Amino acid sequence: MTVLSYLVTLLQTGMGSLAAYLAAHVLLCLLPAFFIAGALSALIPKEAITRYLGRDAPKWISYSAAALGGFVLAVCSCTIMPLFASIYSKGAGLGPAITFLFVGPAINILAISFTGVQIGMDIALARILLSIVFGVGIGLIVAWLYRKQDAAREQASDSSAAFRAKAHVPVQTWIFFGLLLGVLIAGTLQIGLLTQSYTTFALPGSWAPRLQAWLDGIVPPNPSLGIEGVSVQGVLLIGLLVLIGVTAWLGLNKIYDGFTPWTYASLGLITLTLIVASFKVSAVDGGLLVGLTGKLVAEVVLLAAVWWGAARFFDEYERQEWLWEMWRFVKQIVPLLVVGVFAAGMARSIVPATWIQAIAGRNTLWANLAGVLFGVFMYFPTLVEVPIAQTFLSLGMHRGPLLAYLLADPELSLQSILITNSVIGKGKTAVYVLLVTVFSTLSGLLFGAWVNGTNAWLIVGLVVAGIAVLVAGSAWINRRSTRRAASAEAV
Amino acid sequence: MEIKILGSGCPNCKRLEALAHEVADELGIEATFTKVTDPAEIMAYDILSTPALVIDETVVSSGRVPRKDEIAGWLEAIEHTE
Repeated sequence: MTVLSYLVTLLQTGMGSLAAYLAAHVLLCLLPAFFIAGALSALIPKEAITRYLGRDAPKWISYSAAALGGFVLAVCSCTIMPLFASIYSKGAGLGPAITFLFVGPAINILAISFTGVQIGMDIALARILLSIVFGVGIGLIVAWLYRKQDAAREQASDSSAAFRAKAHVPVQTWIFFGLLLGVLIAGTLQIGLLTQSYTTFALPGSWAPRLQAWLDGIVPPNPSLGIEGVSVQGVLLIGLLVLIGVTAWLGLNKIYDGFTPWTYASLGLITLTLIVASFKVSAVDGGLLVGLTGKLVAEVVLLAAVWWGAARFFDEYERQEWLWEMWRFVKQIVPLLVVGVFAAGMARSIVPATWIQAIAGRNTLWANLAGVLFGVFMYFPTLVEVPIAQTFLSLGMHRGPLLAYLLADPELSLQSILITNSVIGKGKTAVYVLLVTVFSTLSGLLFGAWVNGTNAWLIVGLVVAGIAVLVAGSAWINRRSTRRAASAEAV
Repeated sequence: MEIKILGSGCPNCKRLEALAHEVADELGIEATFTKVTDPAEIMAYDILSTPALVIDETVVSSGRVPRKDEIAGWLEAIEHTE
């Protein structure tokens, strides 16, 4: 009997965690994020970024492009490795290639928005900023350590013509991205203007509190473990998601044969889901209390603008590309994410909180290192690191080590180390892995110190000083290499 | 004419192959189709990402699935030079 009740508890925490991920605020983040990912992949030619990664480009441009390029090029951390392999073997400098490899997984739209909504904007922003700073740093250090070898490689091969291809992104595509980002931001930004209700009305019906009580029985909310229950609104949203799944399967799998009624049905349902998720609904005695929020108004206006833009700016082929890429990401990521969320939820009731608190409850060097090592030795599919991190957080992990884990997990896994090894060789891979470990630990420590409230300016000062050293270092490398090139010409 | 599709079996590679077949059939162009899936062989071409379309050893597109009329244009241009 105890085994049975234990199993029931396990299932309940798993379901509770899954339900929390299907809740309104997550849908408002994930649905638009997938549409943005699809649009980046379909509407922005890769050449718009890769032209800056060749070794003919000035250093500061190629490092910036490598650091920011992940946002456009690698909309999912699963596409980083193949891109890294090809830009490096086609003759990109070792430094920018390494920077791209490090920053890419942290900077893509899915990871940022998902982390921000589920764990907190502080962690999401720290993940972006620190990964850019340290990514450029690691690139510069590796480039400096292997400067002779890389110069030899440079002479042995021509810079590939693949980097010379240019691409033009029309203005309306940028406007379209602005609108899509607007949908994402309006739905997730936690400011009063958007979240408060301007009018509320009551829907009578005694079924509502009874349904809510029944739901609380199946999936009991447990605030101490961070488990939200399922709301009446949540049931409606889950129902809509099932319908979206069916219509999208029928309407998007063969989008290239043309738009069918199923396509329009799925797009309509997705729009409806975002709008339903924007209401503020609570079950009260005798019915439902429905609030019209600021974000509801914003979402309705922006969604109308998005569909208007999609119809106006692009031709049928581009619309098909966009929806196809979006759907491809959904099919690739969502099934694994659902399993991951469920498992991470169950882990909350298996792993004793005392263990996590003992290992990583405080912001120490060892706690941060433990976070990094866990990230290296455990391999989780794209985005699953987020529910895992949330489980750790609810069990009492400090936010510093949590960031260290979040940085290291998508960067380093035994699998990605093996691939990196086959691309750049053993020595460089060892140096890279060591540097990532050191810098991720350092990021966690710095962020943890900031969370603890100690010396925010000191931390900013340290980071700024670090950047200054790196910039000076890169300028020095640049000068040396141009001087060497000049003396070679003179000979 | 020899048409090669470079890519390791990703959904977009399959689409590109189907599309190229379709266009060649529509234009009545005789071509042999080869799927190149070996990463080493793919990297021998001057491309950064797959899927890529290679006609008579010339890379005409990479990293995306081109439109049908683009493919038709390349096929016709190369057909004329032969």
